[in-house]
Amino acid sequence: MLQGNGLKVLTVLVFLLMSGYYLYPTLSNFRYQNRLASLDGEEKAAYQRENFADIRWASENALKLGLDLRGGMLVVLEVRVDQLVRELATDRDDVFNEVMAQAQTEALSSTVPFVDAFAAAFAERDPDARLSRYFRNSDRGITRRSSNSEVVAYLRDEADAAVDRAIEIIRDRIDRFGVTEPSIQKQGTRRVIVELPGVDDPERVRKLLRGTARLEFRLMVDPRETAPYIQAVIDHYDEGIEETPDTNARVIGDDLAARVDTSSADTSSVDTTAADSAFDVTALLGGEDEADLPANKLLEVFRPYGQDVILGSAFSQDTARAMQLLTAREVAGLLPRDVEILWTANPINVTEDGQEEFFALGVRKTIELTGDVITEATADFDQIDSEPKVSIAMNSEGARTWSRITGANVGKKIAIVLDNVVYSYPNVNEKISGGRSEISGLDSFDEAKDIVTVLKSGALPAPVDIEAEQTVGPSLGEASIRAGTMSLIIGLALVVAFMIFYYQSAGIVADLALLLNIVFIFGILAGFQATLTLPGIAGIVLTIGMAVDANVLIFERVREEQGTGKTLKAAIAGGYANALSAILDANITTFLVAAILYSFGKGPIQGFAVTLMAGIISSLFTAIFVTRIVFDWMVGQRRMSVSYG
Amino acid sequence: MRIFENANFPFTSNWTKAFILSGALIVLSLFALLARGVTLGIDFLGGSEFVIETAAPLNVTQVRGQLDARLGLAPEVKLFGSPNTILVRTTVGGDINETERVIVETIAAGFPDANPTVVKTDSVGPRFADDLKRGAFLSIIFALAVIFIYIMLRFEWRFGVGAVVALAHDVTITLGLFALLHDLVPFSLQIDQAIIAAFLTIVGYSLNDTVVVFDRIREYAAVFKTEAYDVVVNKSINSTLSRTIVTSGTTLIVVFVLFVTGGEVLRGFAFALIVGILIGTYSSIFVAAPVVLRLRSSGRKQSR
Repeated sequence: MLQGNGLKVLTVLVFLLMSGYYLYPTLSNFRYQNRLASLDGEEKAAYQRENFADIRWASENALKLGLDLRGGMLVVLEVRVDQLVRELATDRDDVFNEVMAQAQTEALSSTVPFVDAFAAAFAERDPDARLSRYFRNSDRGITRRSSNSEVVAYLRDEADAAVDRAIEIIRDRIDRFGVTEPSIQKQGTRRVIVELPGVDDPERVRKLLRGTARLEFRLMVDPRETAPYIQAVIDHYDEGIEETPDTNARVIGDDLAARVDTSSADTSSVDTTAADSAFDVTALLGGEDEADLPANKLLEVFRPYGQDVILGSAFSQDTARAMQLLTAREVAGLLPRDVEILWTANPINVTEDGQEEFFALGVRKTIELTGDVITEATADFDQIDSEPKVSIAMNSEGARTWSRITGANVGKKIAIVLDNVVYSYPNVNEKISGGRSEISGLDSFDEAKDIVTVLKSGALPAPVDIEAEQTVGPSLGEASIRAGTMSLIIGLALVVAFMIFYYQSAGIVADLALLLNIVFIFGILAGFQATLTLPGIAGIVLTIGMAVDANVLIFERVREEQGTGKTLKAAIAGGYANALSAILDANITTFLVAAILYSFGKGPIQGFAVTLMAGIISSLFTAIFVTRIVFDWMVGQRRMSVSYG
Repeated sequence: MRIFENANFPFTSNWTKAFILSGALIVLSLFALLARGVTLGIDFLGGSEFVIETAAPLNVTQVRGQLDARLGLAPEVKLFGSPNTILVRTTVGGDINETERVIVETIAAGFPDANPTVVKTDSVGPRFADDLKRGAFLSIIFALAVIFIYIMLRFEWRFGVGAVVALAHDVTITLGLFALLHDLVPFSLQIDQAIIAAFLTIVGYSLNDTVVVFDRIREYAAVFKTEAYDVVVNKSINSTLSRTIVTSGTTLIVVFVLFVTGGEVLRGFAFALIVGILIGTYSSIFVAAPVVLRLRSSGRKQSR
């Protein structure tokens, strides 16, 4: 029955099944989304809960739409390794600058590692010159005597590490920003492609991605100064006090302040006395029964501690409100002038129900030292007590400043602030004059490593530039999908009609092949997890027009063969055989061009190249195999008289 | 249904007329290219583009004037598909957040009913633009090299020359048309990555036609050994005419559909394809084949 076409039929069925398999999630997803759109409220929530896993699986494995169809933001970031190398160098002269400029031109494409280009340019300029003239790092063993290859290896490590760290920072920032399905990928040696679907606020994202992390060392505030502030603020929000006439409140407030001042002269007992004072206040108010404490807006979100430098704590969702209340205009004046309240970077505690608690700390506004001065940071264990610590090294300017600061504040705490949150506030054990410092009092080695990461990512310079960006609003994305789909349908309809009109029954077979073609194209896209973009849809539309070509070549040939008097069966065989070389030649060149376009193109245009390639492969397949099978069956088995127009 | 069956048009004997026409078109194109030049898009020049939707239609000249006064960068302002959508294009310079904000504020201030919203932004920094230029340049070089090598492998060198001449002819005229019509048509004819892709597609597609004709020439040359070469070529062209017209026809149909319904973003791209397909079909018949013929004849004359 199959007349030796058994293998062909099998192949077609296999590909059909594979396409079906790869496309199933897309169809599934389409079905679910439609269903969800038609339900609302309770029904929708219920449906979502029931089918949660399936919906999620379908949406994750469905054919990916490009940002130009989905709406969202694509940002191409470049880590300026060249700036990094420049910053690492000391004593830069004209030679250095020339080499740098040349390397920058050489390394324009992001696939060329800048360090390699720099080393090559340097060697070219003067084969005997030593890179160690410009680069020193005693912590890493790079001295005056280091060979060029050692320096290059060092630079390469620094560059790679800087790029990876930058990517981690970016990833972290995006996580905090809260985007569904972000994509962050390294491209070449120093580019990062960030895709943020559904993002509607490009301005904020740009700031977020571009901003450098600011590291600062600041002194902590003496608790004796902040305790009265906290009391006063609590008072302010005590609704009981607010309702009493002003004069009374002032008297009580002053009285309270006096009480607290005297009782907190001894810092070690600040906690108990402060607590006592608080209760005293309420007793003063006349609310003898503690259960009857009047509602306090601040205390609802903030729990005062009065312990050491900790002002109080709040849960993560309350921190914004608490900060708002603590720094409101009416109470801001109560806070000592040079003092700022900052939250800890990481939660101090996680409650049983998963709530995270953060400390609020009183920190001086004056920035004693910034991260610019740090040249190296490493995490290790203290030799004496085996506690984890972070060793940092500073440049000479930093060392002098550090010496002054530490000398003046032995026994006190210094806050390490990064982007306005406090990572740690360790004790200063002694004056440090070598520009080296230790951060001790850490919980674990992990914390030490984290601080090193923060120090390194905050301090070591590797600026990140936005090289290119594309933002598409969701409405435009939808409009593009509609336009693309309409073009596809109309184009398909017209071509189908034409084929029947011109080639009659053979045309019907060709149309069948064309429809199968489109299924295969989508199947290939899904199978290779390619992204469908608007130019990609254009590519599919183009393929519809071009796919016909192979069939046309065959049909024309069959007509010619018939013209020489052959039987239908023989004409078909002759047609396919003779047309094959022309079909292959023509399509191979277009395929090669599409492949070149794919490798050199960037962005949505690659989607065009992909669909073009997929289209060519599938149209070759359907034209040569599928139509042949059908014709052989029709003529051989059913003895139909197929008209070729 | 058949068209051009048993056609016997005198293609090869009219090759002089064809060369004159092609020559004229090429001269015209070169003139247009020199006089007006092609405009590069932000992909290759760097810069930013903003597509802004407004509640009420705006006069682009007015908008341009106001933005020029505020931004000072002589921005380009055109309609983008519908009267309620405008495209603002600026060259490199400045912080993109700032630029976007200024543009929206200026429009909102100058045209109270406008209520502008930015629906699409596209920004390319100078280094990335250089990168894309390199990529475009390399892809063109590689594509031409690949094509030439392929033709040389499959056919003899004369065919290779014929194919390359036809391709050069196609690209020059299409580029010339772009230069000529830029700013005269309501859609963008700037050369960006998409247009380069369109050109490469045209190149690949035009080659299809050319290869089909060459294939037939080769076949007929073997079959009709006794006939003069130009008769062989003429027969080949005529016998493939039906197929050439039909294929170009169907492809033109779909690309035309793309041009009309594909949305503003694809309009320039679709236009390039339409022009390319028309000229590509013409060149396969009237340029590539005659060139092969001329080379063959002159070769024969020399060897006598």
